[in-house]
Amino acid sequence: MFELTRYDGRRRIRGSIYLSIGLSLLAAMVIWVYPSFEAEVDLDQLLAAYPEPILQVMGVRTMASLGGFLSFELYTFGWIILLGLYLAYATAGTIADDVDRGRMDVVLAMPISRSRVVGERFAAMAVPIVGANLLPPIVVYVGARLIGHPIGAADVLAVHLLSIPYLFACAGIGLFASVIFDRAAIAQRVALGVTFALFLSESLLTGTDAEAIGAIAPMRYYDPNAVLIDGSYDLVGAGILLAMTVSFLVAAQLWFQRIDIS
Amino acid sequence: MAAIELEGLTKDYGEVLANDDVTFDVERGEIFGYLGPNGAGKTTTIRTLLGLLSPTAGTARLLGHDVTDEEQLLTVKRRLGYLPDSPAFDETATGRAVLELHASIKGDERSAELLELFDPPLDREIREYSRGNVQKLGLVTTFMHDPDLVILDEPTSGLDPLLQQRFNEFVRAERERGLTVFFSSHILSEVRRLCDRVGIIRNGRLVAVEPVESLLDRSGKLVRLRTAEPIPPAALEIDGVHDLETAAGPNSETDDVPRGSERAFTFTGDVNVLLDRLRESRVLDLSIEEAPLEDVFMRFYGDDGGDVGSDGDDRVAAGTDASGESGSSGKGGENDV
Repeated sequence: MFELTRYDGRRRIRGSIYLSIGLSLLAAMVIWVYPSFEAEVDLDQLLAAYPEPILQVMGVRTMASLGGFLSFELYTFGWIILLGLYLAYATAGTIADDVDRGRMDVVLAMPISRSRVVGERFAAMAVPIVGANLLPPIVVYVGARLIGHPIGAADVLAVHLLSIPYLFACAGIGLFASVIFDRAAIAQRVALGVTFALFLSESLLTGTDAEAIGAIAPMRYYDPNAVLIDGSYDLVGAGILLAMTVSFLVAAQLWFQRIDIS
Repeated sequence: MAAIELEGLTKDYGEVLANDDVTFDVERGEIFGYLGPNGAGKTTTIRTLLGLLSPTAGTARLLGHDVTDEEQLLTVKRRLGYLPDSPAFDETATGRAVLELHASIKGDERSAELLELFDPPLDREIREYSRGNVQKLGLVTTFMHDPDLVILDEPTSGLDPLLQQRFNEFVRAERERGLTVFFSSHILSEVRRLCDRVGIIRNGRLVAVEPVESLLDRSGKLVRLRTAEPIPPAALEIDGVHDLETAAGPNSETDDVPRGSERAFTFTGDVNVLLDRLRESRVLDLSIEEAPLEDVFMRFYGDDGGDVGSDGDDRVAAGTDASGESGSSGKGGENDV
C-alpha cells in the first residue's frame, strides 16, 4: 500500500522546500516592514480610507496589532489565496495530466485499483501542504519576537495547523476537476476558477442576503483573524473542512472508477 | 479455459463503431497477432481488455476473469503484462525510479535479465529518452514481473531492426516457457515472423481468425516484372496470378534507355513455376515482395471488410467458420490446438 504516495511524495519534496522557503521570505518581509508601517502610518485612518468591500475581501479587521497585520498580509493573501489556488491547481494536474499524456495506461496496467490511484495520488499532496507549513511558523514566531511584538507560540502553531485541512479542501476541488476533465490544462483552469470564485463568494457575500452561498466555500471555515486576534481556534470549522475533503476524494474516486480512460 | 476470451465485444462511440461484435479466443501458450490497418479498432479491443474502456456490449475475460469486474481485473493484472501503443512515463523521473515504482507494486522477478536484452539508459530522465528507449523501458516493465499473459499494442514500433529481432527471439523463447502473447500490428511481415494465429480486424469488425500460414498462402506476393518485349498475357496464365496489370506504356521510341514492358500482379502460386515461365523472355528487372496489408484485405475480405463469403473457395485452408458477417470465427482455436 501507498507505493504511489511514496513515489509521488518523494517527487514533490524539492518543490515543497522551495515553497516553504518562498513563503518564509514573504513572512519575514511582512514582519520586517510592520514596525515602520506602524510608526509612520495612522493605521485607523488608512483602514477608513479603504472601501469596505476591499477590506472584506482581504479579511482586514485591524492593523493595529501584528496579529491583525499578519492575518491579512500573510495569511489571507499567502495562505488562503496563493496556497489555496496553488494546491487546487497542482492537484488538478495529478490525474488529468497522466490521462492527457497517456501515462495512465501504464499506471493502470499494474495491479492497482482506480480508486487507489486517486487516493494515493491525493495523499501525496500532503507533502506540499505540510511542507509549506514547516518553516514559516518558525520565521513568524522568531520574527515577531525580534521586532518586539511577540505572538503566542500556540497561536502561530494553530494558524498553521488549521490551514492544513483548508489546503486539503482546496486540493480536493482540484482533484475532482482532475477526474472530470481529461485535459490537464482545462482541469487546472477550472480548479483555479472555481477556487477563486468560492473565495469571492465567501468574502463578498458576507453580510448580504446571499451569505448562505458562502457556506460551501472552504474559506469560511479557516479564519486567521480569529486565531491571531482573538486566540480562538475553530475546530468545528476544521472538521467541516475535513468532511469536505473526504467528500471531494470519494466523489473523485467514484467518478474515476466509472469513466473510460481515453 | 482460453487465455483471452472475447464475446460479442462492442464499443460504440456514437459517431464511430470502434468494435462491432468482436468474438474470438486466444489459447494459452500461443502467440496471437491482431492485425489490421491503422484505425481498425485494434487499440480499442486491447484497451477494453485492460479495463480502460468499458464495452458498450459483450464481455471479455482474461485468464478466466471478467475484465469489467474491477476485483477480478485486479487479480488477473498480477499475472498480466501490458505495453500500450505509445507507452509514456513520468518525464522528470529516471528510468530507474520508474522501474522501482513498478517493482514495488507488482514485484520484480527478472528486470536484471531483461535489462541485458533491452537496455534503456536507466540513470537518465525519461524526457531525454528517444522513442526507442521509451519502448525498451516499456518492454522491461511489461515483462519484469514474469507474467503469464502479455498484451502488446504495436510492440516493435520505435525499435530498430536489431532490437526487433532480439524482441522476436525473446518472445519466441517465452512462448516455449508457456507465455501467452497477444499483440497487435499493422505490419504483415512482423506478424508472419512471430505468430501462430492471427485475427484480422477491419473497420471495427473481425473478418477472420486463422493460422498464420493460411493467411500467408493466400496473401501472396507482389510481383513487378520488366521485360524487353511485352509478355503475352497468355504466358502468365498460371496458377496464382491475380490482378494482372500492364503498365500504360513506357515508350521505347522516345526514351533514351529502352524501358521495356512492365507487368505487376499478385502471385500466390509457386515461385519456381513463375520463374520457369519467365525464362522464355528477356527480363530486365524483377521484384517479388510482400503484398501490402491493405491489398490483402481488399482481395480477400472485400471492400467493406465484411463480405467474405464470396471467396469461399480460397478459405478451406483456414479451417474456421469464416462467415465474418456473424463474427463466428471466434472459435478459431479448434484447428490448431
